[in-house]
Amino acid sequence: MKSKPFSFLKYPVLNLVILTIISLFFFRMIKLHSRMETDLDKYMPQTHPAFVYSNLAEDIFNIRNGVIIAIENPAGIYNTTTLDKIKNLTRELGKMAEINKNDVTSLYTVDNIIGTEEGMDVKSFYKRSPGTPEKLADLRNNVRHNEMVFGRIVSDDETVSVIVASIDDDVFSQQFYRNILKLVESFEGPEKLYVAGTPIVEGTMAYLGPQDMKKMVPIVIVIITLVLLIVLRSVRNTIFTLLVVLFSTIWTFGLMAAVGIPIYAVSTMIPVMLIAIGVAYGIHLYSHLELHLRENPNDDKQIAITNMLKSMWKPVMMTSVTTAVGFLSLLTSEVYPIKYFGIFTAFGVMLAMVFSLVLIPSGIMVFGMPRRKSVKVLKQSSKSPVSFRLADTIVRYKILTPLLTAIIIVVALYGIGQIWINSSFLEKFEKDSDIVLTDQFINEHFGGTSTLNVIIESDKPNRLKQPDVLRAISRLQSDVEILSMVGNSFSLADYLQRMNKVMHADNDDYNIIPDSKELIAQYLLLYEMSGDPDNLWKVVDYQYSKANLTFQIKSDNSKVIKEVIARIENHRPDFEALNLKLNYAGSGYKALVFTDLILEGQIKSLVISLFIIIILLSVMFKKVWVGLIGSIPIILTALISFGVMGLLNIPLSTTTALLSSIAMGIGIDYAVHFIERYRIYAAETSDKTTTIRLTMQHSGRAITYNALVVIAGFLVLLFSVFPPNRQLGALVSLNMFTSFLGTLTIMLLLLAKSNLYFKTRKE
Amino acid sequence: MKIKITLLFIMLLSVTLLLAQGTPSALQIIENVYRRAAPEDQQAELQMTLINSRGEERTRQIQQYLKAYSDMDKKIMFFKFPADVRNTTFMNWSYDDESKDDDQWIYLPALQKVKRISSDSKSDYFMGSDFTYDDLGERHPGEDTHRIIAEEMINGEECYVVESIPVDEDYMYSRTVTWIIKGKWIGLKKEFYDEDEELLKILTVKEYQNISSYWIVLNTEMHNVQKDHLTRIKLSKLQIDRGISDTQFTERMMRRGL
Repeated sequence: MKSKPFSFLKYPVLNLVILTIISLFFFRMIKLHSRMETDLDKYMPQTHPAFVYSNLAEDIFNIRNGVIIAIENPAGIYNTTTLDKIKNLTRELGKMAEINKNDVTSLYTVDNIIGTEEGMDVKSFYKRSPGTPEKLADLRNNVRHNEMVFGRIVSDDETVSVIVASIDDDVFSQQFYRNILKLVESFEGPEKLYVAGTPIVEGTMAYLGPQDMKKMVPIVIVIITLVLLIVLRSVRNTIFTLLVVLFSTIWTFGLMAAVGIPIYAVSTMIPVMLIAIGVAYGIHLYSHLELHLRENPNDDKQIAITNMLKSMWKPVMMTSVTTAVGFLSLLTSEVYPIKYFGIFTAFGVMLAMVFSLVLIPSGIMVFGMPRRKSVKVLKQSSKSPVSFRLADTIVRYKILTPLLTAIIIVVALYGIGQIWINSSFLEKFEKDSDIVLTDQFINEHFGGTSTLNVIIESDKPNRLKQPDVLRAISRLQSDVEILSMVGNSFSLADYLQRMNKVMHADNDDYNIIPDSKELIAQYLLLYEMSGDPDNLWKVVDYQYSKANLTFQIKSDNSKVIKEVIARIENHRPDFEALNLKLNYAGSGYKALVFTDLILEGQIKSLVISLFIIIILLSVMFKKVWVGLIGSIPIILTALISFGVMGLLNIPLSTTTALLSSIAMGIGIDYAVHFIERYRIYAAETSDKTTTIRLTMQHSGRAITYNALVVIAGFLVLLFSVFPPNRQLGALVSLNMFTSFLGTLTIMLLLLAKSNLYFKTRKE
Repeated sequence: MKIKITLLFIMLLSVTLLLAQGTPSALQIIENVYRRAAPEDQQAELQMTLINSRGEERTRQIQQYLKAYSDMDKKIMFFKFPADVRNTTFMNWSYDDESKDDDQWIYLPALQKVKRISSDSKSDYFMGSDFTYDDLGERHPGEDTHRIIAEEMINGEECYVVESIPVDEDYMYSRTVTWIIKGKWIGLKKEFYDEDEELLKILTVKEYQNISSYWIVLNTEMHNVQKDHLTRIKLSKLQIDRGISDTQFTERMMRRGL
């Protein structure tokens, strides 16, 4: 085995120095220019019609997410101190830099539209907290008789009242959250206070996920290092394998920083991918080197390395190219963070390939061959190696393996049928976490912490003042409120019913939409004259051509929101008959559309990349059958991954859906290494059994080590405190395992059965 | 006898007073504005245009009658446009006695009923405009402490710039700054600062005329800079001191409409 040394190996020290310097440069770029993007709105494609519409509606009606603070006094809220606390907390919140004082709503700020003997009065419930029992009773009575407040601002059992502070999407920060908690704490006792709301949930999730990862990733790396030490049996090899991953990660994030692309939540998956894929290169290279040295113990390092590169550059290159192409298929996604994720992971994978082919040989050149105790090698003579026996066993189960595979596929397909999508943020938290418990508490007492906005639109001004339109809105509200998860709803119709009742001496028979459009217009004018018209502009636009209905829902679960939407859709024909358009808006709806978009893109890209990979494999190995057989581990991995999610009731979300990309990336690596080895040994030995045995010993071993290392590392995430990270750990491990098993069993069997690379000899 | 006018800052010049002295004190300037003779009654067509931050406009046309009495001012307003609120009528009796709340009635023709309405305070906005009830009335000079902070030319008029800080710390504004034309004693521009000392609104007089020897503001604009909401008020077909009958300000007239 003589061959010319690769020319870049002439200056191994220089290689190491150059790569290290560039890595340090990129590291500096990360330090200087990297920034996290936590505003979820920034993730969404701004030109998508659903988002354009929702953003416009949010702007017109000032629809924003609210921080909800609940004050509970088991003895009832109608006492001077509790009312004082509501008033003072309302004012203190309004003074915070992040909150506009006009955006704080509480019993202290809301308008009370009341009927008097002579007419109507719009005033606040209290200015100075009432001190006497009579005045407290008056206040209680006023609240009880106001459907717009009772059950919305004050709970039905009168022990809890809420303060809602609407904030812009981009103002939430951990500091802000801490300040609110600190402020709220100062009002505790005997009242209990709770803080909830979408901004808190989203903000905490955006904070907790990466925070937990920061804690867990070092442990993952330690475990991976330990397992690498065990399988590679060399500190030096372990270090260089990890350096490949480290450098490719630094370069990838460095490049992102250099071109000014922020780190999105999905970008935190890039290191996960690079660890899972990057360690494979090192393992395969060192594994080959070791086998070579077993057979040729006297080769010097120059010759050994040249042999390693000669026989391994091709499969390493092929795996990285196919993997990269798989990730590039994410470019078809409409979601920019996912596009970036695809591009930069592909970039990182290619880098890992180059680094493994440069760093590892250069390392050996500089630091010498790995010293290994070759005790085992000497002992092997009596029995055949484990890998040989394993190969023989696998080949023996010709029927059982395909049968089992078929059964697994059927079960997986059943599981896929069960799979569901969830864009819920709340359900990403532990069931007994403060955030979930607070949310439950508020949902028990009030309409709901999640909102869905329905926008009714006409192209004619003043159309929303017509009784037929308002009645249709009112009907829609009462019909949808039948759903148990819908707490209540709020619209222009509520104002008019309230005013109609009040103007008729509080007679409940008049709690309906008036018949005359003039009367409606006159009520509205009256409201503007006596109340705060800004409240009106939250339910109707300036020209009375668009109305905003708010449904309060007790869950942000996608199933629930979809159920509510389905119920609303029943009314669409009514509105269309009135020449009105019906659309949705608000952050909950956008999250729903967004998740669907991501999944749609993900599935599209999975299918595309599968085809590209089959074609690539067919071209690389010059045989269509190889393409088909080689894609089996990927298909299996993807099917099982989704199937298990369906069976275990893990919903598809942005993170879990992306994991199928790992299945692609890793599954294909295993297949390529295995087939390439199989081809070489087939040509060398012309004997199928020997080929299978040798391939198993060579690639099979490396694949096993690779799977072992990554599975061990990612299982650590099962101890994470953040449920999505636990799912991530479990699913990555699962994917590694299926890819590994699929390659070494069913793919091996099919490869053997197909007689590929042996055809000519048989004839 | 002085009449409290909805939107107008009707002012009469007391030239003699000015000539007698050199630069008047800040309090005197405000007194000069406050103590001018004004018409006893007035009728006009009022057009109110509301413009929101998106540039959308809503217009209302109102026929209004005002009359000053010894201890109160009376005002009645008939809506002419938009059509769906035509003949909706609003009547207000405002008492000179500060402790006494205004009496207000509204007649909704669709309901055919006169209803009393009340509002919490003078800091409420008038008919969804950017004017509060208090902005429309006249504030007694003694309710603020005044200080001249500059003398400036605007629109070719020499003005005193007077800062007024309310004695009552709970007042809706923390301070106001008024540009008052020397000699004519018309407030040409006024800035309102909110409780947090931030600029809230700017009042600008766009047009004023000397009618029957009264200085009368015909066209004003109030801009709420925090909400970017704008109210324009324009008077036309103005008639002064025509001897409007007392019976004009009654429930019967409200029901009768225009």
